[in-house]
Amino acid sequence: MITEYRTFLNPKKVYIPLTDIDSKIANVSVEEGDRVLVGQIVAYKFKGKDKTPVLSTVSGTVVGFVEKLDRYAKIVDHIIIENDLLMETIELTNYKDKLAVSQDRNFIHNVTTYSENISTAQVRTALKGLGIQKVTVDGLFTDIKFKGQTEHIVVNAIFTNEPFISTDYEAIIHNAEAIADGICLLGIGAGAKTLTVIVDKYMPAEALDELGKAIVDKNIELISINVKIIKSWDYKIIQKLVKHNLSLNLLDDGVLYTSVHAALMVHDAIRKGIPVTSRQVAITGDGLKVNAVYDVRIGTLFSDLVEDLEGYHEVENMNLHIGSFLTGIQLDNDDFAITQSVDSINVSEYREVEEDVCIKCGDCNDICPAGILPQNIMDAELRSVNSRIVELDTHLCVECGLCTYVCPSKINVLEWVRRAKRRVG
Amino acid sequence: MEFITKKPPIVGNSQRTYKRSINLHFALLIVAIAAVILKAYTKVPETVTYTALDQSFKVFLMLAVGAFTSVVIELFYSLSEGSTKKFDSYKGFVDPINTGLIIALLLPTITPIYVLILAVIVGVYAGKLVFGGYGYYIFNPALVGVLFANLSFGSQLTVTNTPLMLLKRALGGETISFTNMTDLFVGNYDALAIGTTSVILLCVIFIYLLITRVIDIRTSGTFLLTVLIMSFGVGFINFYVEGNMSGVFDYVVINMITGFTLFAAVFLVSESVSSPTSRETKMIYAVVIATLMMLVRVLGSQPEGVVFAILFGNMITPFINRTVKRSDNKTLLKTSLILLFTVLFISISLGFILQSELIDIFASIGGALL
Repeated sequence: MITEYRTFLNPKKVYIPLTDIDSKIANVSVEEGDRVLVGQIVAYKFKGKDKTPVLSTVSGTVVGFVEKLDRYAKIVDHIIIENDLLMETIELTNYKDKLAVSQDRNFIHNVTTYSENISTAQVRTALKGLGIQKVTVDGLFTDIKFKGQTEHIVVNAIFTNEPFISTDYEAIIHNAEAIADGICLLGIGAGAKTLTVIVDKYMPAEALDELGKAIVDKNIELISINVKIIKSWDYKIIQKLVKHNLSLNLLDDGVLYTSVHAALMVHDAIRKGIPVTSRQVAITGDGLKVNAVYDVRIGTLFSDLVEDLEGYHEVENMNLHIGSFLTGIQLDNDDFAITQSVDSINVSEYREVEEDVCIKCGDCNDICPAGILPQNIMDAELRSVNSRIVELDTHLCVECGLCTYVCPSKINVLEWVRRAKRRVG
Repeated sequence: MEFITKKPPIVGNSQRTYKRSINLHFALLIVAIAAVILKAYTKVPETVTYTALDQSFKVFLMLAVGAFTSVVIELFYSLSEGSTKKFDSYKGFVDPINTGLIIALLLPTITPIYVLILAVIVGVYAGKLVFGGYGYYIFNPALVGVLFANLSFGSQLTVTNTPLMLLKRALGGETISFTNMTDLFVGNYDALAIGTTSVILLCVIFIYLLITRVIDIRTSGTFLLTVLIMSFGVGFINFYVEGNMSGVFDYVVINMITGFTLFAAVFLVSESVSSPTSRETKMIYAVVIATLMMLVRVLGSQPEGVVFAILFGNMITPFINRTVKRSDNKTLLKTSLILLFTVLFISISLGFILQSELIDIFASIGGALL
C-alpha cells in the first residue's frame, strides 16, 4: 500500500547507463572532469543506424565511468556525474514560448491553452533530440518511436501491480491536461488515425473526471475496462483496432502503445522543451518499511532511495521486481540506477510456491489472447516435437505471461513457450 | 543487499491444483455419506433375510475399504520409490482417497468385498501408478478398476430391474410405466451403483463443483446436452403417440437421471488429467463420450455404457488434442456447429435403426433421388 508521496530530486551522484536493452553500442562525447549541464548530451547510443542521445539529468562534473548492473539485469557502462545542486540547464528549444521553463512539473496543471501549430517533423525531432524513447518496456508496451506507418496511439492509464496493489492516480489528477496534450502530440508525431486511452472501470471518480474534461473535444476515445477480471484487455482492444493477430513488437502492426507517464514526458519535452530529468516511481512491497510514490531524479541509485525510505524489514528471502509482475524483470541486487523506463519497483518477501504437476485443466489455453494453446505447446516442447510446435502457431505468442498467471499448478508456462519458440527459431 | 530471482510473488490468482482436489474430495465424501444414508431407507424385497440397515452398513464398508485400499497401495508404491514425503500432510491422501471412493461408488451393493479390493488394486496400480501417478495417467484410474470388476466378475455384480433395464425392455416392446418419480429423484432405489442414484444431491454438487472450477461446463454441459438431444431424438421416433408426448418425456427423463449419466457428468467426464485441454477439444470429447454411451444404451447388450465410453474417450484424447491447432472464436463456432449437426444426425439415425427402418428410409431417399 502506498502511504506517502515523496521527492528525491537531489542525489549526490547520478549514474546514467550509456546503453540499454536494444542499443548495445555507445559513443561518449564528454571526458572525465568535464562540467555538464542539465539536458546536455553526454553520449550517443546506437542500435544499428538508429542514434539516440543520452542526456545528463543534473548539472555537475563527470567523475568517471563504471561498469554496473542496470535495470535489465545486465552489466553495462554507466557515466557518473557529481551533482553540484545548481541545476543549470542548457539553452532549451520549446514550441510554446509564452510559458516559462519550469523545473517543477507539478505546476503544469496551471496551463490552460496550447498552441496546436506544430508539425509532425517538429515533434519527431524534439522527441529524438531529448532522448525520449524507452519509457515503457513491460509486456505489450512499445518504445516511443515512429516507425513506418503508425496508425493508432493507445495509452494506458492503469497502474496496478500485485500483490500490494499500488495504484497511483495523483499524477493523472494533477496533470490531466498535460497528459491529454501529450497524447495529441504523439498523434501528430505519428500521423495517427485513432487515439485511445484505456482506463479502469473502478478508477477514482476524480481522476476520471479530470481526464474526461481534458480529453473532451480532442478526438480521443476512452475505453474503460474492469481490471478485477484478469483478461488480456489491452491485447483485445488493440486487436480490434488493427483487425488481425498482433506481432511481438506492436510497432510492426502500426500501433504505438504506451503509458500516461510517457504522454506526460512527451508534453514536457515539446511544450516546455525540458528533457526527462525526473519521473514518478511507485516503490512498494512488504520488504520495505515505507511505501511511497517518488518523484525521483533519473540516475539516482535505488539503494539511495531505500536509505531515504528507512531501509528494509529484516526478512530472510526477498524479491526485487521492476515493472509488471507478469512481464517485468527481477534483479539480484539493489545497486542499480533509476532510468526513464522504471515505473514501479516492488521489494517483497519471497513466498515459496510449490510447483505441482500439470493437470491439463486448459486454463492457459482459455486465457491466451493470441488464441494459441500454451499447454499443448508445453507438451510438444517436453517431447521435443519440432513439427508440432510449428503447427501450433507458436510464433504468435506475445509473451504476456497470462498463462503463467492463471496456472493453478503454478507452472511457469511462459518459460516453456519461450523455449519452444527458441527451439524452432 | 542480495535478492533471489525466482518467479514473481503473484497472489491474486488463488486457484491451486490441490484446492481443486480437496473440493472434489468434499463432494465425494458428501455423496458417500448420502449413499450410506439412502441405503438405510431403501426398501428391501420381502423374500430376503437381510435388512435395510445391513445394506447401509455394507455400503459404508465398501466405501471405507475402497478408500483404505487405495491409500495403502499408494503408500506402498511411495515406499518402494523411496520417498513418502508426499504423505506428510493430508493433501497427499486426498487423491488416493478420491480414486478409491469413486471406484466404490460405481459398484453395486451386492459386490463382494474381495472384488472391490481387486478393482481398487487394478485401478490404482495399473491405471494410475504405472504411468507415474497423479497428473500423468492416460486412463481414468477409477474407471479402469470398475471396468475390470465388471468384466471379470460380471455375474457377481448383476443387478436386475434397474430403471435403465426396464427402459431397454420398453424399447423391446414391453409396456412399462414409471410411476414413482419421487423415488428416482431422491435416489432410494436399487441401481447399478451405490453412488449414482440421488439426482438432487448430484445436481447440487454439480453446481458446487462448477463454481469452484473443479469441473468444466464445456465438458460436462456438452455431455449432458448431447445426452438430452439424443434421448429426445430416439424417444420421439420410438415413443411418440399422436398428440401425447408423455412417453417421450419419460424416456428423456429416465435417460438423464438414472444410470451413470449425472454421476459421469459430475465426477468422470470432466476429470481433467485424462481429458483434452482446449475448449473445442473438450466439446468434441464430451460429444464422443455421450454418443458412445447412447449407442451402448440403445443398441448394446449392456444396460450402461458410460464406463466404456469414457475410457474410449481417454484413449483417443491425444488424437482429439491434435485436431485443433488454434482456439479462437471462429474455431469455436465452427466446432460447435459441426458437433450440433453430428449429434442431430446420430440421434435421428439411432431412432430409425431401433425401429429397423433405417434401410427403408435410405431406400426411399435413394428411390426419390433416382
